[in-house]
Amino acid sequence: MSHPLEITNLVKRFGGLTATDDVSFHIEQGQSVGLIGPNGAGKTTIFSQIMGELRQNSGTIRLYGEDIGDLSTPARIRRGVSRTYQVPRPFGDMSVVENIRVGLMPDSIWKMITQGPDRDREIELALSVGFSENDLNRRPDELSMGDLRKLEMARTMATGPSVMLLDEVFAGLTKGEISQIGELIQQMRRDGMTFLIVSHDLGALEPLIDRAIAINYGSKIAEGAYADVISDPNVRSSYLGVA
Amino acid sequence: MGLRWYHFAMWAGFIALMYAMPELVSKGTLRTFIFANFLAVFAISWDVLSGRTGYISFGHPFLIGIGAYTTAILTKRFDVAIEISIPIAVVVTMIASTLFILPALRIRGSYFALVTLAFMELIYQLVQVIRPDLTGGTRGMSGIQTLTRGAVNGYYMSLSLMLAVAISMWLLMRTRVGTALSAIGMSEDSVLGSGLSTTRLKLFAFLTGAFVAGLGGAFYVHYLGSIAPRALFDINFVFTIIVAALIGGSSTIIGPMVGAFFLTYLLEYLRPYLPGAERYFIYGGIALLLYMYQPKGIYHIVMQAWERFKPGKSA
Ligand SMILES: Nc1ncnc2c1ncn2[C@@H]1O[C@H](COP(=O)(O)OP(=O)(O)OP(=O)(O)O)[C@@H](O)[C@H]1O
Ligand SMILES: [Mg+2]
Repeated sequence: MSHPLEITNLVKRFGGLTATDDVSFHIEQGQSVGLIGPNGAGKTTIFSQIMGELRQNSGTIRLYGEDIGDLSTPARIRRGVSRTYQVPRPFGDMSVVENIRVGLMPDSIWKMITQGPDRDREIELALSVGFSENDLNRRPDELSMGDLRKLEMARTMATGPSVMLLDEVFAGLTKGEISQIGELIQQMRRDGMTFLIVSHDLGALEPLIDRAIAINYGSKIAEGAYADVISDPNVRSSYLGVA
Repeated sequence: MGLRWYHFAMWAGFIALMYAMPELVSKGTLRTFIFANFLAVFAISWDVLSGRTGYISFGHPFLIGIGAYTTAILTKRFDVAIEISIPIAVVVTMIASTLFILPALRIRGSYFALVTLAFMELIYQLVQVIRPDLTGGTRGMSGIQTLTRGAVNGYYMSLSLMLAVAISMWLLMRTRVGTALSAIGMSEDSVLGSGLSTTRLKLFAFLTGAFVAGLGGAFYVHYLGSIAPRALFDINFVFTIIVAALIGGSSTIIGPMVGAFFLTYLLEYLRPYLPGAERYFIYGGIALLLYMYQPKGIYHIVMQAWERFKPGKSA
């Protein structure tokens, strides 16, 4: 049985710094895993390697059993993995719906030309992450950080993933927005989505995950049930002063 | 994307006005209009290739020149019929444009612009050195077969070409591919992160831009009946094209068209006062002021006014 996502002995070096140090883990179908660790631990770098935005120095990344190490980012997305970015980078001159439209586009120029946009689906996605009807034609420079994260989430969902990597989706959100995005994630979990979630907001993260992985200085230092990971002495000392 | 009645009304009104122009203005003015029509074609072509994607080409005459030289050489030296040589010229230009993808794969921003500038310089040198018996070398070529005689016919020909290009590009860029190309200019990484192959999209933009540039270059040479490499591969010519697209309104099709007419008129208007190259200085200044006032161009200024009393405001 192959897992939706399986990482084996992943290593990524930036000059003298080993940002990912021999990391291995896998996620089972429909599971949601939290990836925690202090600032600079290497969480985002793992995401970038899974997406092919950074090339690992060694190790393998498998998606449903297939080694995706040589595939381009769009090819990986086509196979069902997609991520949000910690620093949202929307299309600045486009409205909320147009931003989502780009995520929904098939990677075929012919289809882009001959088929019109799916307006219903664009609006449905925008509303599902918590935008209101009035927000649909807003531009990114009129949006709050919370709105930009929601847009990031909607654009990622638009690519039709079965494995979603969420990087700090709660940062900068209000309590109400956090519970709304949390509810959306719960809904997707019930529908069978597989998640890998990075968050510094452990309170928001805990109810959304089946288990947790902690990393520090690029290495995995603990893995297991959330309560066990969080009480692990290594995790406690690395998180000291943070959580 | 939805076409509305006022789209048809605007195009119809514009087309009717333009076709009536020979009745309304002098022959001299008409010749100015002919140049404006060709400049509009080149500016639209530049905008499709560069304006949207943000891959700024300084070497556009490279493409225009390949279209122009190909058909000029085929008709004059090999007696190929124009109806055959123009399509060949367009295809050759499109093939040549794939050269642009090589730097575009690796470099962004000003380095891309410099490499394309080098392409232009390269072809300028090549036409002088390689087979001057075919290209006419430094002196260029004359006595090339022309498609039309007289200002009125030349005007109709250039106008029809310009309108065909403008309307088809306008329709094409209203589809999702236009949205995707604009998205590349805003954040190429996010386009990749949305699952779209940016290399393929850029190649499409370059091929489409080259199609229009080759077509424009080929028709232009068969309008002029001659080809002068020094004027064609001149940095002022590149600037005129880019400035037309930018001050008219990049990433729109109507913008570059408006910009081309605006610039041509400005240059003509200034000619009696400033016959020399100082004119370019003045227009540079005016373009800069306009650009500072509204970086999105004249098109945007007009659209803001239009939004206020557009019939049946849509969401
Ligand atoms: N492109 C890069 N070049 C050089 N070093 C990098 C690069 N990207 C990340 N790093 C370094 O790698 C380490 C891991 O960074 P990463 O962004 O993955 O951490 P993170 O766990 O996501 O941190 P945060 O919680 O602050 O988001 C850091 O020391 C960072 O400075
Ligand atoms: Mg990070």
